[in-house]
Amino acid sequence: MATATMTFARVKVQRRFGLLLRVTIIVALLALASLPLVLGGDVWAQRISRAAIYAIIGLSINTLTGHAGQISLGHQAFVGIGAFTAAFAATRIGLPLGFGLAAGALAGMATAAIVGMVALRVTGLYLALVTLAFGLTAETTIFNWREFTGGGAGAFAPRPEILSGDRAFALLCLGVLALVLYADWRLVSTKAGRALAAVRNDERIASTLGINTTGYKLAAFSLSGLAAGLAGGLFAHWNQIVQAMDFEFQVALVWVLMTVVGGLRSRLGVVLASAFFALLPLTLPNFLAGLPWQPPFLNEAVYHVLPPFIVVVMLLVVLRFFPGGLGQLLRPATRWLTKGGKR
Amino acid sequence: MKRHQLLKVEGLSLRFGGLQVLNDLSLSVREGQIVGLIGPNGAGKTSCFNCLTGIYQPQGGRVFFDGKDVSHLPTHRRARRGIARTWQNLGVIDSLTVTENVMLAQYQRAGYSAMAGMLGLAGTWHRERELRRDAAEIVEYFGLEAVADERTGELPYGVRKTCDMAMALATDPKLLMLDEPASGLSPEEALTLGATLRELRDRLRLTILMIEHHVPLVAEVCDYVYVLNFGKLLTEGEPEAIQRHPEVIAAYLGGAAAEADEPDDDTVTLPAASEPPKWPLTAEGGSHGTA
Repeated sequence: MATATMTFARVKVQRRFGLLLRVTIIVALLALASLPLVLGGDVWAQRISRAAIYAIIGLSINTLTGHAGQISLGHQAFVGIGAFTAAFAATRIGLPLGFGLAAGALAGMATAAIVGMVALRVTGLYLALVTLAFGLTAETTIFNWREFTGGGAGAFAPRPEILSGDRAFALLCLGVLALVLYADWRLVSTKAGRALAAVRNDERIASTLGINTTGYKLAAFSLSGLAAGLAGGLFAHWNQIVQAMDFEFQVALVWVLMTVVGGLRSRLGVVLASAFFALLPLTLPNFLAGLPWQPPFLNEAVYHVLPPFIVVVMLLVVLRFFPGGLGQLLRPATRWLTKGGKR
Repeated sequence: MKRHQLLKVEGLSLRFGGLQVLNDLSLSVREGQIVGLIGPNGAGKTSCFNCLTGIYQPQGGRVFFDGKDVSHLPTHRRARRGIARTWQNLGVIDSLTVTENVMLAQYQRAGYSAMAGMLGLAGTWHRERELRRDAAEIVEYFGLEAVADERTGELPYGVRKTCDMAMALATDPKLLMLDEPASGLSPEEALTLGATLRELRDRLRLTILMIEHHVPLVAEVCDYVYVLNFGKLLTEGEPEAIQRHPEVIAAYLGGAAAEADEPDDDTVTLPAASEPPKWPLTAEGGSHGTA
């Protein structure tokens, strides 16, 4: 009897201790992650903004590809339209930043909804081709519409006084990222998440359960476009100038790849991989060029073409060894951190 | 007083290219009945189900449900009116757990919009807890508690089949359409299933339309039977009459059996055209092996 009580007490203490330990670790990790923002000055604040914007784009693609099982190779169009709309709202109409961002998000959503309506009639490879064609067409038409985008010179998107500091702007980007993460979490935890899982796996089964499969696919496109447009608006104000060349097909490809490398349907994986891919081209060339020993035949110009190569290698490694991406690799750790020992 | 017709099908015709899958098929199911749909393989039974649920668009004919023409409604709208079905190759979503599958099936009565859920509005949290509790009850009724948190993709056939049935019931249907509920069952388990179906019918005021090869089960549980052959209605009637019908025996066994003797009561069963695999179905709370 006594032993039983003692064992029980010990288990209880251990569990409480475990909870404390987990909370401590999570807080420590968050503190570690915020170090660059606190200590890194404006350079790192800029980089963190970029990482957060990429993470929002990654979550946008995750909504479409991870949740609804559709693919988009034309995401640069949604992000670009969001960016140009936000810039247009800021300079030509003079709307406050919040309204500009909302306008960008809505523009991205409307565009994605239109593409979605066309894309619903096709699946798989043909869907990829439709979105690819749309993205490429948007680049040469909408983005070259001088009145709207400023043509080759680009459109300016100045920040308001309060956000002129890079650190303040990084906080705004992180705040928006937090909102998107929250929405994604609630989406998958409620009926829409289960419905999307059914639509992704078997539309016939989904429809006999009363789920409007067409509606959900269209909603996934629209939501994805909303997040993409929002990220585009943030990007416009981050860079303070938007140019058509910022939204070429290559970036859309990198966005899809980073989402897959991060792991579809893994919020943490997508955020980490997006941040990594956002920072790689900014930090790697300088880092390598700064090393004391330079290998022969390599110079800074080569270092600048290295990141895409690394991206491809990472994709191959992920596809071959962990189809669930970074999220799959991290799952044991995240499971322990969120739920303790039990599954 | 005659009970009212819950489902009425008039002149259903379905063609795939040159193949006439269903030919002028008419049938009706009254409220509270258990109706069987039998016939050899390839007779068009599952195609008929697909037409009724709106997955196939038949070239001709009309479907009335609960007195209203639903012929032109998409599948999900028909489901919302109270048509639920199970699948021959199982209607479970493999990447979800058993509980999540049941909660998925509760989609129509979640009681909040998808948007409200995404925004995390206050009411949705509470409703989610209620749904989970209801799902747990359904899971328990079907004896699936031991595997409630397992992904269905990792479970054996019989358990997944039970989960499919649990899902169909979780939609809170008026009409339950079962596609070979006894396939993969031993004869004794099939008869237990018959008792379960009747209990469900009485407790939940269900109407059941089922495709079944297992004739003793059909004879035991069905109030009325339609026999399909080559997409046409061969005959219809009470199960006792059907079992003695020479054309039915001929359709199942080929021409030679037509002149066979009158079958003795319950010893003779019409063999299924193909032998279904033997897997245990644990509809009555048995053990599951892979818990």
